[in-house]
Amino acid sequence: MNSFELLLQQLANGLTLGAIYALIALGYTMVYGVVQLINFAHGEIFIAGAYAALTVILMLSGLALPWWAVLGLCTAGAVLGCGALGWGIERLAYRPIRRAPRLNAFITAIGMSFFLQNALMLIFGATDRQFPTLIPLVRWQLGGVTLTLIQLVIWAASGALMIGLQGLVMSTTLGKAMRATSQDLVACALLGIPVNRVIAITFMIGSMLAAVGGLLFGLYYNTINFHDGYLVGLKAFTAAVLGGIGNMPGAMVGGILLGLLEGLGAGYLSAQWKNVFAFAILVVLLLFKPRGLFGERVAERA
Amino acid sequence: MRRRAALALVALLAAGCGRSQPVVKIGFVGPLTGDQAPVGQGMLNGAILAVEQAKAQGPILPGLEVELVALDDQRSPTQAVSAAKKLVADPDVVAVVGHLNSSCTMPASAVYHQAGMLQITPVSSNPQISRQGFETFYRTCATDDLQGPAAALFAVRELGARRVFILDDMTTYGRGLANEFKRKLKGLGAELLGHEGIPQGDKDFTPVLTKIKAYEPDLLYFAGMFPEGALLMKQRLRVGLTSRFMGGDGLYDASLITLATPEAAEGAYITTIGSDVRQIPTAQAFVRAYEARFGPIGAYSAYAYEAANIALWAVRTAGAKDRGAVLAAMKGLRDYPGIFGPQNFDVKGDSLIKVIGIFTVRDGRFEFVKTASWD
Amino acid sequence: MLRNRQLWVWWAGVLAALVLPLVNPNPYQIDVLATALLYGLLALGLNVIVGLTGVLHLGYAAFFAIGAYTYGLLNLHAGLPFWAGLIPAALVAGLAGVALGLPALRVRGDYLAIVTLGFGEIVRIAFTNLEQWTGGPNGLLGIAHPSCWVPGRGVVSFGVSSAPYYYLILLLTILVAGLCARLSRSRVGRAWIAIREDELAASCVGIPVLQLKLLAQGIGGSIAGLAGAIFASKQGTVTPDSFDFILSVMILAMVVLGGLGSIRGAIAGALILGTLPELLRGFEQYRMLLFGLAMILIMRIRPGGLFGAAHRLGRASSLMRQRTACPAPGG
Repeated sequence: MNSFELLLQQLANGLTLGAIYALIALGYTMVYGVVQLINFAHGEIFIAGAYAALTVILMLSGLALPWWAVLGLCTAGAVLGCGALGWGIERLAYRPIRRAPRLNAFITAIGMSFFLQNALMLIFGATDRQFPTLIPLVRWQLGGVTLTLIQLVIWAASGALMIGLQGLVMSTTLGKAMRATSQDLVACALLGIPVNRVIAITFMIGSMLAAVGGLLFGLYYNTINFHDGYLVGLKAFTAAVLGGIGNMPGAMVGGILLGLLEGLGAGYLSAQWKNVFAFAILVVLLLFKPRGLFGERVAERA
Repeated sequence: MRRRAALALVALLAAGCGRSQPVVKIGFVGPLTGDQAPVGQGMLNGAILAVEQAKAQGPILPGLEVELVALDDQRSPTQAVSAAKKLVADPDVVAVVGHLNSSCTMPASAVYHQAGMLQITPVSSNPQISRQGFETFYRTCATDDLQGPAAALFAVRELGARRVFILDDMTTYGRGLANEFKRKLKGLGAELLGHEGIPQGDKDFTPVLTKIKAYEPDLLYFAGMFPEGALLMKQRLRVGLTSRFMGGDGLYDASLITLATPEAAEGAYITTIGSDVRQIPTAQAFVRAYEARFGPIGAYSAYAYEAANIALWAVRTAGAKDRGAVLAAMKGLRDYPGIFGPQNFDVKGDSLIKVIGIFTVRDGRFEFVKTASWD
Repeated sequence: MLRNRQLWVWWAGVLAALVLPLVNPNPYQIDVLATALLYGLLALGLNVIVGLTGVLHLGYAAFFAIGAYTYGLLNLHAGLPFWAGLIPAALVAGLAGVALGLPALRVRGDYLAIVTLGFGEIVRIAFTNLEQWTGGPNGLLGIAHPSCWVPGRGVVSFGVSSAPYYYLILLLTILVAGLCARLSRSRVGRAWIAIREDELAASCVGIPVLQLKLLAQGIGGSIAGLAGAIFASKQGTVTPDSFDFILSVMILAMVVLGGLGSIRGAIAGALILGTLPELLRGFEQYRMLLFGLAMILIMRIRPGGLFGAAHRLGRASSLMRQRTACPAPGG
C-alpha cells in the first residue's frame, strides 16, 4: 500500500463517518432553521433510532426472513419510532416554552438530553449491545484501497436522503411552509400557515433522519451504547454549526468535512489529538468564515 | 399545569429521603450512571450478591440486619468525594466497597481515612493509592505494575513479538497499564512502533488502525475496556491488519467476544488479574449464584463480591457496630477463604494474591493458557 | 438597583449560611453545600460573560481546569502554598479568557458558542495528553490542602474536613458577588450592557467595545481560575475528566435557571442544580433521569429563570430575546 492509496483509504474511512454525522447534523440544522433552538437532545434521538431498529430485528429474529426484508422493517420501525419521539418531545417539552428566551429553551433541551439518555440506559441496559450485521460482508479491493458494501450503503443512503430532503424543502408546499416559517414565524401564522404543524413536522423529519443515521451507525459499528448519542450528537452539532447553522447543504458538507478531519487527524497525526485537530481547524475556519461555510452574510445589525 | 409540575417536583424530592431502622450498613460506591455505568453495575451486582448471602445466614451482628448502601459517583472525582462524605456522615456505615476508578478512589480514600472507616476497593489498580500509607485502605486486585510487565514478558518470550504497537484508552487505568507494559517491553528487546491513545466512547478506529497497518506490527496491545477492545478487534480485520491482538483485564468480559464476533476475537490474548474465576474451584459457588441471579458475570463483579465479603467478614469478626473495631478486625485477617484462594494483605493494604492469568480466545470462548510471571 | 429590603434579605441569607455549620455539623451536607457554592462561584463568573456581555460560552470548564492545574503544578513543583497559589491561578485563567476573547471579536452567536466548545475540549484533551507535565489521565496527585493559623493550635491544615472549605468558598462567593454587583452598576458594567444591547450603537457613542469585551472574558476567566485553585486544594487531586463538556453545560444551566444576568439567580441556580443530584441519591440509577426531568420542569414553571432579569433589561440581546412571538402555542 503506497502513501497515495493510504490517503484514499483514510478518505474513505472519514467519508463513512462523515456521512453519518451529516444525517444527524441535518436534524440539528432543520430544527434550528424553524425555531432557532439548538436541540441538544437530538443525539439521543439518533441513538434511540438505533435501539428501535435493534428491537425490531430481535423481534423478527425467529422468523427467518431474508436480510433485506429485516432491513426494510427495522428501518421502518426506527423511522416511525423516532418520528413519534421527535413529535412528542416537541409537543411536551419545547412547545410550551417556545416564547421563552432561547437560551432557556436550550437548557430545556439539555434536560431532555439527560432524561432520554438515562431512560435509554434504564430500558435497554447500560452495557453495550451487539447490533447484527444485516448487510452481507462484501469487500472490494481497488488497488490498495478496501471498500465494503456497508460503506457504499451508508454513502448511498445518506446521499439519497440528502437529495430527497433538499427536493422536499425546495419544491413542495410543505417545504415552502418550512422555509417561510424559518423566515418569520409570526407573519406565517398571520397568513394562515399552520406553524405549529409545520414545526412539529420539521421535528419529525429531523428525528427520522437521525433514526436512519442511528440504524446505519448500528450496522456499521455493530455495537451500540446509550452513551453514543451524546458523543456523536456533539460532533453532529459541531458539524451543523461548521456548515452554517440553519443551512441544510451546509450541514451535509459540515458533517462530511468533520468526518474527514477526524479520519485524517487520527490517520496522519495521532488518534489522541484528533479531536484537538478537528476543533482547531474548526476554530480557524470560523475565524475566516464567521457564519460557517454556507451561512449567509448577515449585516451587523440583524 | 404549573402547579401540577411543581407538585411533581416536590414529590420527587421528598421521595428521596430515607427511613431509619436498627441496621449496620456497608457502603458501595461506583459509577452507576454515565458512560461507565455498565462496569459499575456489574460490580454492584457482585456486592449485592455478597450482602444477600450474608443476610441469608442470619443477623450479621446481634439484633442488626446488614444493609448495602449503593451510591453513584459517575466516575467523577468530585462526586466520589461527595459520596464518600455521605457514607462517612452516616453512623450506621462501618465499611465501604469502592470505588472503580483510581481517580475517584484516590481523593475518596483520604475521606475514609480521616473517618477511620475501612475501604476495600475491588479494582482501582493504580499503585500510588496504597503508597499514601492509609491504614484504612485495602484492595483485592493486583496493581498495574504487575499486569503490564507480565503481558510484555508473555508477548515477547512466548508469542515471539518483535514489532509492537500500543494503544490505550486515555484513562487512568488504560494509560497506567500501557505505560507499565511499555516499560517492560523496552527491556526485552522488542521494537516499539508507537503508543497512542484513543478516546473512550469513540466508535471509529479505522483511521488509526489503517495507520498502524502501514507499520506492519506483529502485535497490537490494547490497554482499555472491552467495548473499545471489541471494536478494535473487529475493525482491525476490516482494514486488513492481521497482527496478533493482546489486551489487559479490562477486556476480560464475556461481551467482548459477542461484540467483536468470535471470528474477530479468535486468537487474541488477554491478561487477567487472578486466574479465570470460572475455573477456580473455590469460585464455582459464586459463579453459579451470580449467573443465576444477574446473568453473565461482569469484568469486575468477582472482585466486588470478594471485597464485600471481606468487609462483611470484618464486621462479623468485630462483633460491634464500630468503625474502629471493624478496622482492627480487618488487621487481624489471615488466610481469608476468598473465591480466589486464601486472601492476605500486605502492610499497604494490597492483596498478596498476585496471580496474573493469561487467556486466549478459541472458538468463541475464553480459554485459560497459564498463569504468568512478571519478572 | 438593590432596594433596602432586598439588601436585608441578602444579609439574612448570608447570616443563615454562616451559622449553618454550627447548627448542622453533618460534614456530608456541609460538603455538598460547599461544592454547590463552588459552582455558585463559577456561575457568577460565567454570568459576567453570558449575562452581561451576551456571549454564549460552552467551554467555561476550561478556565476552571486551568486554575486547578496552575495551582496544582505550582504547588507540586515549586511548593507554592494555597493562599499564594490563588493569584497565579486567577491570573493564568484570566489571560486564557482574554486569549479566547480574541476570536469573539470576529465570530458571533452560536458560531462563537462552537468556538468556546472547541476551546473547552482542546484544553481538556491537552491536559490528558501532555502526560510529562500534567500526569496525563492520572492527573496531579498529592496537592497540598490549604492551611491557616488558628489561635492556640498553630498552623492547621484544612485536610479533608468540610467546614473550613465551606467558609472559604462562602467568603469568596460573597466577595465575588459583591464585586459583580458593583461592577454591573459601574461605568464598565453599564457599558457592557450597552454592548450587549446594541454593539454598533455602543461603539458609535465611543464605548471601547474591544477592550471591554476582553475585560469581561478576563474577569470571567479569573473567577473560574480562583474556583479551580480551591477545587484542586479541596480534592488534593486534579484529573482532566473533572472538567468535561457536561460541567460547562451545567454551569450554563445554573446561570440560565437562576435568571440570566442576575447575581442572586446565579447563586440560587448553582445551589439548586448543585444539590439536586445529591438530594436524588436515593434513586440510584434513576438519579440522572429525574435530574433531567427536574431541569425540564423548572424551565417550564419559570421559563424566564428564577430571578429573570430579562424583563428589566428592555430590548434584550439575541440570547435573551424572545425567539418568537408566535400566537398561542397551545398546551
